[in-house]
Amino acid sequence: MRRRLTPHVLAGLASAAVLVPIYLIALSALSARGEVSAWPKALLPRALSLETLTFFFGVRGVWLALGQSLVVAALTVVFAILLGAPAGYALARFRFAGKDAVRLVVLLTRAFPIAILTLPLAVRFIRLGLYDTPLGVALVHTALALPFAILVTASLFLGIPVELEEAAWTLGCTRPAAFRRIVLPLALPGLTAAAIFAFVISWNEVFAASILTLRHRTLTAYLLAGLNESPLYFRFAGGFFLIVPSLIFIFAVRRYLFSMWGIARR
Amino acid sequence: MARIEVEGVRKVFGSQEALRAVSLEVRDREFTVLLGPSGCGKTTLLRIIAGLETETAGVVRIGDRVVTGLPPRARKIAMVFQNYAVFPHMTVFENVAFGLRMRKAPAAEVDRRVREAAQLTHIDPLLARYPAQLSGGQRQRVAVARALAVEPEVLLMYEPLSNLDALLRLEMRAELKGLLQASRTTTIYVTHDQVEAMSLADRIAVMDAGEIVQYASPLAVYQDPASTFVGRFIGSPPMNFLAVAVTGTGADAAARVGDDRMPAPAGLPARAVLGVRPEDLEVASAADAGTLGGRVQLVEPLGPHLQLTVAVGDQTLRVTAPPHTAVQPGTTVRLRLRTERVRWFDADSGRALAVGGAAGSA
Repeated sequence: MRRRLTPHVLAGLASAAVLVPIYLIALSALSARGEVSAWPKALLPRALSLETLTFFFGVRGVWLALGQSLVVAALTVVFAILLGAPAGYALARFRFAGKDAVRLVVLLTRAFPIAILTLPLAVRFIRLGLYDTPLGVALVHTALALPFAILVTASLFLGIPVELEEAAWTLGCTRPAAFRRIVLPLALPGLTAAAIFAFVISWNEVFAASILTLRHRTLTAYLLAGLNESPLYFRFAGGFFLIVPSLIFIFAVRRYLFSMWGIARR
Repeated sequence: MARIEVEGVRKVFGSQEALRAVSLEVRDREFTVLLGPSGCGKTTLLRIIAGLETETAGVVRIGDRVVTGLPPRARKIAMVFQNYAVFPHMTVFENVAFGLRMRKAPAAEVDRRVREAAQLTHIDPLLARYPAQLSGGQRQRVAVARALAVEPEVLLMYEPLSNLDALLRLEMRAELKGLLQASRTTTIYVTHDQVEAMSLADRIAVMDAGEIVQYASPLAVYQDPASTFVGRFIGSPPMNFLAVAVTGTGADAAARVGDDRMPAPAGLPARAVLGVRPEDLEVASAADAGTLGGRVQLVEPLGPHLQLTVAVGDQTLRVTAPPHTAVQPGTTVRLRLRTERVRWFDADSGRALAVGGAAGSA
């Protein structure tokens, strides 16, 4: 009994560590403004209210920042997949000199503190006219998401037997045709996952977005900029709204990922 | 239908020579098996013929067309892979139809040819299923059907049975043989399983260390191995080899092992290796001239026969004896060799010596 219980307890603790803060944030966001500072805290909402959220979206600039966040995240996804997937494919399928070095260097880009990178980038971006544009932020976010995209897609393509491609070649496919007809459909769930993670990385990133934008802030940068002046309930509403898309995204594709991976691994 | 010609094909991987100037000719409609231990180059050779690997030097012809440098899709081949390589996201029908669809064959023809191939391979009830719902044997049938559906000039098979369990492998082997006899497609089949090779091949090309060491019919490869390597690799248990000292040169030539003398053909060098299959040795009742004395080390009753392990001096012989032979471990026995089946090899190179009866046919 004890052996069976331990994993459950550990899983429960791990889940609680993630879920309790989310729950508390959601609770405050969905309660009336006054509830936020109420003590003792009610574990169940006393009265569900959209007042806080309505207020949040009523604040000037929130919608604009939301739009910026979406544009930046979408651009990041496109760049990360378009650059990352071919690199991952090359790492998975070809033998070339310096392959291991590439693998390592790709990871090293994440070892650079973003704070060190961002200031010189801001200067460069001002000269290039990229400062305060979604494209500029998206480029930095792509740099952050790319190592992940490359390594995940590499292992993804490695998991698709090369014989499937070879069989397609012998049956009349060119290399690109075999990729499109055989590899892509099998890799799609994994590519979707990589895309979602790139989206979430961009959506959550605050530092580079804060430095590199002024008027066209992403939601995170916008919230951070106003953090000191904004009331507590506003912060909760903002936090809640930042969490929700990530949760929905991952939850929505969860079953798709599991089932398709199950087939792809066979 | 086409013949295949491989001429002086070399392949170098880094500092390693995987194939050293291999030449091979497969006749139209012939079934050739490339057989050898892992690392002998058989895989590389097949992949070069398929166009999946690029040769360092040499020429490959399929149906008198030089295909060197052509991609796989332009070689009019089809290939069956060890892990089946059935496309998991397509139904069985679409898998079999894949090659035809790539050629943009009309729908009616696709349908007809898929059903034909499916019937031939007994997968017609499975056409609507996905590969995940099939057993290993069924998946391999799909792979074979997919290859046959395009009516290739040449069929290449890479260890197609080795992922199946033993019983199924036996069944599929027989089925494959019937199937390929019916389709009459020129086939090259790679395996490391000598029984598979013996049972399927018209001719076996035995490979070792990047070279074809013998290319002959299964029986010839078995009875007249071109070298001690071939004799050891083919047959279970393998051919017995005895180092002997040869005395005399003419009609009085004899091979000596310890104190025993056996008749030997003329023209042997002073030191030679005698090769004899376990079933070509028999336990003799008396110490006749020309028999060989040894001590029985092991008696294994295998049902249809007894497997004896006999020490002759410091060398060991395996003997296949009738099931009721009265031998006990630890006793001494006399062994008679079927002289016409004895083969002779060079003591240093291990190559067959062209002396005596049937030698030299390789």
